[in-house]
Amino acid sequence: MKKRNWYLTVGGFLTLTMVAYILVGVFWTPYNPSAINGADRYAPPSFLHPFGCDHLGRDIFSRTLEGASSTLTIAVAVLAVGFIFGLIIGALCGYYGGSADALIMRLCDTVTAFPSILLALVVIAIIGRGKYNIIAALGVLFIPSFSRLVRGEFLKQRDRDYVKSAKLMGVSNLRIIFIHILPNTWPVLLSGLTIGFNNAVLSEASMSYLGIGVSPSEPSLGYMLSDAQSVLFNAPWYTAFPALVVILLILGVGLIGEGIRSQMGVAS
Amino acid sequence: MADKLILQASHLNSYYGRGKARKQILRDVSLSLSQGEALGIVGESGSGKSTFAKCVLNMVTDIEGALIVHSQRPQMVFQDPYSSLNPAKTVGWILEEPLRAIGIRDKEQRKKRVEEMLALVGFSPSLLPRKPAQLSGGQRQRVAIATALIPGSKLIVLDEPVSALDVTLQAQILRLLADLQQQLGLSYLFISHDLAVVYQLCSRVAVMSGGRIVEQGTVDDLYDNPQHPYTKQLLAASLALDG
Repeated sequence: MKKRNWYLTVGGFLTLTMVAYILVGVFWTPYNPSAINGADRYAPPSFLHPFGCDHLGRDIFSRTLEGASSTLTIAVAVLAVGFIFGLIIGALCGYYGGSADALIMRLCDTVTAFPSILLALVVIAIIGRGKYNIIAALGVLFIPSFSRLVRGEFLKQRDRDYVKSAKLMGVSNLRIIFIHILPNTWPVLLSGLTIGFNNAVLSEASMSYLGIGVSPSEPSLGYMLSDAQSVLFNAPWYTAFPALVVILLILGVGLIGEGIRSQMGVAS
Repeated sequence: MADKLILQASHLNSYYGRGKARKQILRDVSLSLSQGEALGIVGESGSGKSTFAKCVLNMVTDIEGALIVHSQRPQMVFQDPYSSLNPAKTVGWILEEPLRAIGIRDKEQRKKRVEEMLALVGFSPSLLPRKPAQLSGGQRQRVAIATALIPGSKLIVLDEPVSALDVTLQAQILRLLADLQQQLGLSYLFISHDLAVVYQLCSRVAVMSGGRIVEQGTVDDLYDNPQHPYTKQLLAASLALDG
């Protein structure tokens, strides 16, 4: 009998719940997330405001709904940029090798040597803030780690006999890379993607927390945490609920990644 | 012997590496293979037998001397059927891929060729949707043989095709290879370290050592009356093992 993969089950359930939560937020929020109401300043959680209210009397539940959706959008976009470029660069470097590979990998080392938030901060300072600039800045920073992951997998695969056999048949190099080798790297790449997703969520939240994220008019989990910090003991719900949303979001995806690794027998 | 040659190497030298690290692997190798013939190349590891196969397959290009191959894209059956079949693909896909590579776009035509080939190698079409991991070692090697034959090349390099299999399977696969050779008029270049296996399939043998051919001749001559001390040594070793 096959043992049930609890990582996948629990992670999948959590992630589906969070995605449902965020989708609801796209279409409906109980209150206008930006509506200011002086009477409800720091109102504790109640039936009317399940997560309580913030310093301007805004409904925290509505704000986490909208904040989570902007966090998710940015994280997915960052991941897409990093993964697509990382995949292409890593696959070509790993498959062909040679001096171009060495040069590109040293370039990646250089980028990785800087703390990513610091580098993103510099980039944002130059090109200005806003959703798309953040996606671009973080996305570029995610390229080296994906490149290295993909490259490592291609290095492992490229000398296997099935690749030699494909070459003998006269299959083109590009087809070997993307049709023959790529499917064999999916287990590792998928679990890498889940780790990348979590890093993307945390980076976006950290950048908002530091005040260099999306524009302040948009609700963001990072901004909420930043605002909540000063009233941590007076209004703990202001910190607790946005933090909980972040934690559940990355916990679910993290568990899925762990589940994939144990399912495929991939060493982490 | 008025047979047409399918492979002819004369005074072939080959090298690995570049610059100072350039090392000579093959030394003055002269060999020929007629159409429909099976030639065994035996020798210990490092003797250059696999390098010779790679030269024939155009995988080693740093060569001197003459090497003439009268066959389109010679194909190869690898030693280990666990790594020569793409683990992510189904058997059906693996068998169709060589046909896609030679430009057969019509799906029905590919399917038909695959079915014909499966009948030849004795592999049930019901296993086509499976992945290699779901097959036994013998089934995998049949698939590997089918993939090598399906593009229609007449020259097949067999690189220790049975040494990863157990003895009963070895006999089955060797018989299959002999049948296929007859039916399709194939020429085999059979690389092996095992003289007993070579004896079953090949009519001629070349013995290699240190990148040179130290002795070649018909199987019977070589087994009954080995000239070179190295051949004697190899024979003694295989006899000792067969016990």
